[in-house]
Amino acid sequence: MRSTGTVFWTLMFPVLLILIFGAIFSGGTDVEFDLVLQDLDDSTFSKEFVSNIKNITGVNVITLNKDKDVADYMLDEDKKVGLIIPEGFESLINEYMQSKYDPNMTFNEEEIPFNLTLIVDPTDQTSSSILKSIIFSVIQQFNINITGGQNIIGITEKSSIGDDFEYIDFFVPGVIGFTIMTSMVYGSIERNTKYRKDGILRKLLTTPVTRAEWIFSKMLFMLFLSFISTFVIIIVGTLVWGLSVEINIFFFVLVISSSFMFTGLGMIIGRFVKEEETADMAGGAITFPMMFLAGTFFPLEQMPEFLQTIAAGLPLYYVNEGFRNAMVNTDFGKALYFTGIVVIFALIFFITGVFVTKWHED
Amino acid sequence: MVEKTVKCPKCGKIINCSGNPGEVLKLTCPVCGTQGKITFEREIKIKDAAVKVTDLRKVYGDLVAVNNISFSVRKGEVFAFLGPNGAGKTTTVEMIESIRKPTAGNIEIFGNNVATSFNEVKERIGILPQEFYSFEKYTIRETLVFFSMLYKKQANIDEIIVAMNLKDKEKMLYKNLSGGLKQRVGVAISLVNDPDIIFLDEPTTGLDPKSRREVWDVIAGLRKKGKTIFLTTHYMEEAEYLADHIAIIHKGNIIAEGSLDELIEEYGEESVLRIKDCKTSDIVDVLKESGFEVVKKGNGDIAVRIPYKEKILDILSIMKRECVDYSTIDIRRSNLEEIFLKLTGASLGGLILES
Repeated sequence: MRSTGTVFWTLMFPVLLILIFGAIFSGGTDVEFDLVLQDLDDSTFSKEFVSNIKNITGVNVITLNKDKDVADYMLDEDKKVGLIIPEGFESLINEYMQSKYDPNMTFNEEEIPFNLTLIVDPTDQTSSSILKSIIFSVIQQFNINITGGQNIIGITEKSSIGDDFEYIDFFVPGVIGFTIMTSMVYGSIERNTKYRKDGILRKLLTTPVTRAEWIFSKMLFMLFLSFISTFVIIIVGTLVWGLSVEINIFFFVLVISSSFMFTGLGMIIGRFVKEEETADMAGGAITFPMMFLAGTFFPLEQMPEFLQTIAAGLPLYYVNEGFRNAMVNTDFGKALYFTGIVVIFALIFFITGVFVTKWHED
Repeated sequence: MVEKTVKCPKCGKIINCSGNPGEVLKLTCPVCGTQGKITFEREIKIKDAAVKVTDLRKVYGDLVAVNNISFSVRKGEVFAFLGPNGAGKTTTVEMIESIRKPTAGNIEIFGNNVATSFNEVKERIGILPQEFYSFEKYTIRETLVFFSMLYKKQANIDEIIVAMNLKDKEKMLYKNLSGGLKQRVGVAISLVNDPDIIFLDEPTTGLDPKSRREVWDVIAGLRKKGKTIFLTTHYMEEAEYLADHIAIIHKGNIIAEGSLDELIEEYGEESVLRIKDCKTSDIVDVLKESGFEVVKKGNGDIAVRIPYKEKILDILSIMKRECVDYSTIDIRRSNLEEIFLKLTGASLGGLILES
């Protein structure tokens, strides 16, 4: 109890957890899911279908003109799910219904199910799962109303990114960002507190090595570890799950700059953490909330707006988005944007970290 | 002659006095009669001074950890800073090493002001900080190589390992070493740049007698090579064994300074010759009649005060003449522990120096 830092972080950590998870999950009734919808049939039946979807609480239907590409729109506007009602929707239903009443009319069973095209962003399994269920339920109701149970309307699923990519491809960038963050932050904090406690910093102060040289040398080592861990993730993902990501200049810049950024963050935290026992807790209190708020595992759209605002200020958010756009989406415009922000964060955090790191005892 | 001004701690009377460098002068306040001592710092020529500390002070709030102390360390000597825990030894040495910033005062190492030119001396000094633990996952050899690479001038690591008796353990990880071995590695680290002056802050704390003696031998060997050693310790026997010059510090003040003989001469009791298990009962009267101060102890031992060393032969002659029957004799002189107890018990806070 005499270690105030330990007591503080021991209490702070669970408080942070409950506040964050409560904020994330308690705002469920206010969450809306965007659905980009393109009605190429533009018929009475298709309009009724669209109207059924629009009536569902929590679904915000964004209607897209026929001349636009749904997948491109989804990428540009960062929408997670799209639905295309192809031409022929009403004519198929009319044919089916007529065939039931007109014995002279035959219905080609090979034409069913008539598939609507569902385009999903594989990075957001949550939104796509929820909207898929909603659309399935609407389709099922349609099928029951029309056929009494036979499925004449179905769904074909496609990826908004490309069919070569799977969910693992979109999950891995978040894992890379998270891994770099935890190893750099924890490594930096623990190193500083332990070295201070062991008298190593005092000893170094009396040698010709400067503080900047020491920090830079440690930084190079941590950078080396970052690259090792990142490539291990990619290699294992490729061998085991068939990972398909691109390695480009943005990837390298992001690994380097995020390593510097999180090391600087660790140095800033370490300046105020005196005891080793407190170091882990302080690191956890910073990284754990960031991990969940920065869109690593939960899409930001699921969170209340005020949390989304907070998340937009978190460094890990830009790291994750930078890696995703560089390695998966290959949207180099967005990759450049997010990488630039990470570089700026890196300069600020690292320079501040060097500045606040003290070797003198007093 | 050196002029100094002191202030009586009891009545505040300002007393002017003069003395020779290194001299210890007894003073009596002319107003209240309070007695005390004042030490005139020994004079060391600038070219002979490895370390020169002037009016060094360190204050933490209301606590005066180091109270305007001044001393010099001659090149090539072992200078021991002796005092109990909390006396201000480590605070002083850390200010010299530039680990702590002084509140006031001036520190020079080889003529370089530590506050402004410490970088110029870093290559020439070796330091073992107090309670120092190195990198846990390095072996002894790797640890020494690491620290040696921080300097332009590098000593022979193999020689250091052999000198510190670490040869058979050089591949052990630091974290697996005993406390004594870790301390020896710490001393070894302080030697990796073949420094001209080595600061050892309590280098034998926690060591067993054998390991302690080994470290003493290393320090003695370094002195023979002409190295200057600044040693802080609370072990009296360590200072007695190693030091050419001793400064005794108590509550942030240097209360006595000099070589061991000078300190014993000044502050110690007279030496005593002890006749153990003496069976010749009238020897006490014989010795008293010869002018010696004799104390007979209850266990049959006899203690004879020796006013000066030549009298030892006289005592032995008397014993031989009287055919004294005894088991053994020894001569015991005052040691630093007695001096320290005497000084800290009688100093009454000491005299306050005023410039």
